[in-house]
Amino acid sequence: MKAFLAKRSIGGWIATIAIYALALTWLYPFAWMVAASLKPAAQIYNTGLFEGDFTFDNFAFLLETADKLDRPFVGALGISALVTLTVTASVLLTSGFIAFALARMRFPGRKLFGDFLLLQMVIPTSMFILPLFVLIKEMGLLNSLWALILPSMMSGWGIYMMSQSFRTMPEEYFDAARLDRASLWQTVTRIVVPLNKSIIAIVALFTFTGTWDNFLWPLIAISDTDRMPLSVLLATFSKQYGGYAGPVMAGAVLQTLPLVLLFLLFRRHFLQGMSLSLK
Amino acid sequence: MRTREPLSREAVVGLSLAGAYLLFTAIFWAYPFFWLAKLSVTQWRFFDEPVFTGARNLLTTLQDPQFLQALWNVVRFLAFYLPIAFGGALIVAFGLRHVGRGKGFVALCFLLSNVSSGVALSLVFAKVFSSTGPFNTMLFDNFGVRVPWTNDPTLAMLAIALVVAWKFVGYYGLILYSGLLAIPKEIYDAARLDHAGPWKRLTRITLPMMNPQLMMVLTFAILVSFGLFTEPFIITGGGPADSTATPQMMIYETAFRRLQPSHAAMMSILVALVTYALVQLARRLFERKVVLA
Repeated sequence: MKAFLAKRSIGGWIATIAIYALALTWLYPFAWMVAASLKPAAQIYNTGLFEGDFTFDNFAFLLETADKLDRPFVGALGISALVTLTVTASVLLTSGFIAFALARMRFPGRKLFGDFLLLQMVIPTSMFILPLFVLIKEMGLLNSLWALILPSMMSGWGIYMMSQSFRTMPEEYFDAARLDRASLWQTVTRIVVPLNKSIIAIVALFTFTGTWDNFLWPLIAISDTDRMPLSVLLATFSKQYGGYAGPVMAGAVLQTLPLVLLFLLFRRHFLQGMSLSLK
Repeated sequence: MRTREPLSREAVVGLSLAGAYLLFTAIFWAYPFFWLAKLSVTQWRFFDEPVFTGARNLLTTLQDPQFLQALWNVVRFLAFYLPIAFGGALIVAFGLRHVGRGKGFVALCFLLSNVSSGVALSLVFAKVFSSTGPFNTMLFDNFGVRVPWTNDPTLAMLAIALVVAWKFVGYYGLILYSGLLAIPKEIYDAARLDHAGPWKRLTRITLPMMNPQLMMVLTFAILVSFGLFTEPFIITGGGPADSTATPQMMIYETAFRRLQPSHAAMMSILVALVTYALVQLARRLFERKVVLA
C-alpha cells in the first residue's frame, strides 16, 4: 500500500481523479433518465438532477392510462420478455451443442463448416432485413411473434465464439467422459458448460441485449400496437405523444433496467470474456 | 475401387448437428440472399410479379440524389466520429492502465452505455439535446449561449456522433487497453536509455505497437457508421433536410414508405460493397505488421 501511494506524483493523482470524474460523467444520461422518469412533467427541464417532487405517476400513466391511447405497455413488456427469453434459450442450447461438434467431434466437412461460419460473420446482417421481410411475408408470419423469434433462433456468431473457447479445453476431460460412456447430453451439460461459463455468459448477454433492444426488424415486421415489443411501442409512443416526456422516460427506464441488471449481475464473466474474445 | 467405410457414430452426430444449422441458414440466410439478388435486377412492388429490368435499378440508384446524400452523410459522420471515438478510447485505455486498482469500476462505468438500450438512450438524448434540455441549460448558465443542436445540419450530425461515441468509447477503450498490456516493458526501458521523451515514446513505440488494436477499432467504427439507424431515426428523424439520413434509413424509407423494394435491394447491395471497399482501403493505408525482434 505504501509503495502504491508513493508511486503517485501530484500529476498522477490529478489524472486519477480526472479519470474517475470522467467515468462518472459517462453515467450522467442514466441518472438524468431515472430522475426525469420520477418527476412531474413541469419540473423535468427546469430543476436540478436531484431536485423536484419525486413520484411514480409517470410509471402509473405509462402502464395504465397509455392503454386507453391504444399503447398497451404491460403487454409489450410481456412480449419483449417472451421473445427475448425464447431466443436466448434457443441460441444458448443450439450454439452449445453445435459448437461442441465443431470444436471437438470428427466429421467430414468440419473445417469447411468453420470457414463458412466465418464468411457469414463478415457479411453485414443489415443487408438481409429487406429480403427477410419478403420471406416472412411469404410464410404468412408478418405481424406475429414468430416473425420476431424464428429468424434469430440460431446464431453463427454464438456457435463460433463458443467453439473457440471449447477448443482450448484439455483432451483428458473427454477421454474420461468416453471411458465412463457419457452421452452427448451428459458430456456437454456436465463437463463443457461448467468449464466455459464466461463465454456462455457473454453469448447469453449479447443475445439477450440484441433481441431485447432490436429496433429495425420489429419496426418492419410488426404493425399492430398490441403485438409490438417494448422498444418499438416506446418509439412510436414518443413520436406521437412527444409532449409526455415523463412517461417516455419511464418507458426508457423499463427498457434499460433488465439490460443494466443483467450486465451488473454478469460483470465478472463479462470482463473476463471480453479479454478472451479480444485475443 | 474401395467401398467407403461407414461413418462412425461420432461423425453421424457431428454431421447432423452441423446439418441442423445449415438447414436453418438455408432458410433464413441463403434464401434471403437469393431474393436480394433477384430483387436487385427486377421491378417489384410487393404484390405483383417481379419483372426483369436488368441494370435499370443500378442506374436509378446511382443517380438518386437522396441515396448519394445518405452515403455522403456517412463520410460527414466519420469526420466527427473518428476523432471523438479514437480520442476517447485512448483516454479510456491509458486511464485504465493508470488507475490500477479501480480498473474494474472504471471499465464498468464506460461499458454500461455499450450494453444498455440504444432505443431508450436515444430517447433520452433527444431530450438532453433539445433546445430546453439539460445540455443547453448547462451551456446557457455557464457561457450564456444556447446551441440549436437539431436545427443545424452540422450540429445535428455532431450530436449523433457524440451519442454514438458515448456508446462505443468504453468498448473501443477496452480493445486498445488489451493492446497496451501486450507491449513489452523492455522496449520502454531501452527508449529511456536513448533519452526518448514521452511524446516520442507515444508516437514511435506505443501507437505503432498498438496497430492491430487500432485497426480493429477503425474497422468496427466504419461498420457502425454504415449500420446507423436507431440513433438518427429517433433523435433527428434524418433531418434537418436529410442531413443526418443514413443509408439504412434510406433503405427503410425506400422499401417500406415509398414501396420500392427493388430500388432498396440495390441500395443494400451497394452499401455493403462500399462498406467492404472502405474497410479494405483503411487496411491498405494504415495496417502495419507488428514484429517483435
